[in-house]
Amino acid sequence: MTYCFYICVCLCLVIFQTTIIPHIALFNNFYDLLIPFIIYLGLFRPAREGILFILVLGFIMDSLSGGPFGLYLTTYFWLFIVVKIVIKYLHACNNILLLFIVAAGVLMENIIFIASVSMFGPDSRFLAITMRAVIFQILWAGCTGFFFITFFNHIHKKLEKFSIFRSGTKIT
Amino acid sequence: MIVVNIIILSVNSSRYSSYGSWRIAIFFIAPFQKTVTQSVQFLKNIWGHYFFLVSVAQENDNLKKAINQAIDKNNKYREVEFSNFRLRNLLNFRETMTNQVLVAEVISQDPSPWFKTIIIDKGKSDGVEKGLPVVVPEGIAGQIIDISYNYSKVLLIIDPNSAVDALVQRTRDRGLIKGESYGRCLSKYVLRKHDVKVGDTVVSSGLDGVFPKGLRVGYVTEIVKRNSGIFQEVTVMPYVDFEKLEEVLIVLDSPKHDFDFVSEQ
Repeated sequence: MTYCFYICVCLCLVIFQTTIIPHIALFNNFYDLLIPFIIYLGLFRPAREGILFILVLGFIMDSLSGGPFGLYLTTYFWLFIVVKIVIKYLHACNNILLLFIVAAGVLMENIIFIASVSMFGPDSRFLAITMRAVIFQILWAGCTGFFFITFFNHIHKKLEKFSIFRSGTKIT
Repeated sequence: MIVVNIIILSVNSSRYSSYGSWRIAIFFIAPFQKTVTQSVQFLKNIWGHYFFLVSVAQENDNLKKAINQAIDKNNKYREVEFSNFRLRNLLNFRETMTNQVLVAEVISQDPSPWFKTIIIDKGKSDGVEKGLPVVVPEGIAGQIIDISYNYSKVLLIIDPNSAVDALVQRTRDRGLIKGESYGRCLSKYVLRKHDVKVGDTVVSSGLDGVFPKGLRVGYVTEIVKRNSGIFQEVTVMPYVDFEKLEEVLIVLDSPKHDFDFVSEQ
């Protein structure tokens, strides 16, 4: 059930990100929607459950993207690890943490991506436009990331309850 | 009596006379008439505007539904019209091209804003190969970089990894068009001495062995000549609006340069 939920969420997010968002002018500088999901996995799910899924997700995104292969894989993997380290010191359900962690994740992804693009020799204009795009992405992430994580957590809990209830009725 | 009555009637009917009596009648009757008429009208209005509104509301709902359906239909027709226009445009362009081309539909875009690729619905099964050029009526769009059985990935010319050998149409000065990731391109290695002007059209040179010669790439928007260096920086704005790319043409018989002889030598 859990893995089915992960697959459905990721499928929806990837399709939404690659087919719908590019057509909406408002979301021109929207962030990677899979980041809140990876952070959710890092915050609320055991490492064993999440790591394999994150690697598969990174592989899929790398296949869809035109960037160097392994960029998403690297980003998602390290993001997951960083989140796992962070929750050793901070409480995962802390609302203030949830507010900032997605923005921080988006910033981390952008730093990795910009570093990768910079290898091609960017000019000053590139950096100026990049900064603007990154700031917009972080703002979006700060405003909406919390809701995504809460939504994933809520749906997952409901599904788990439903799953327990079904297995209970089967036993009786 | 009867005769007298008839005579009076016939005399009165021959000419109109009121004798002022109607004024008295009107004075007494008219207010009542008015009140009754207004009351009737009031009741009629109440019926018409409130009780009858139940059916009007129903009718309104039905009309709203009908309008929504009509808007939806109209939208669909408009979409078909636009699609028809685009496809006609594509068809006209296809007819003008001497190369063998294949029409493909864009199904998704790159998930990252830093890289510019699209995925199209034609693949190996349709005869698509890696490295084939992708064009639209406005100009060059990109190049196939990855293929699966039914789908292909296209690297757009605005991607930092892309490079197209091009020349300025007016002066025939050569340069290398590199993507700049934010919707523009940079023409590299254009010599300082070359007379390039803002607004000049840049076309493919055909020397890269990928794109056919003479296809439009973009127009010059900015020229920077630094104090030192032998090259000038020429910014090129592509003619293609990559945000609105929906259908593309894959050139199946693009010019292929045989470089094997070089390695043999």
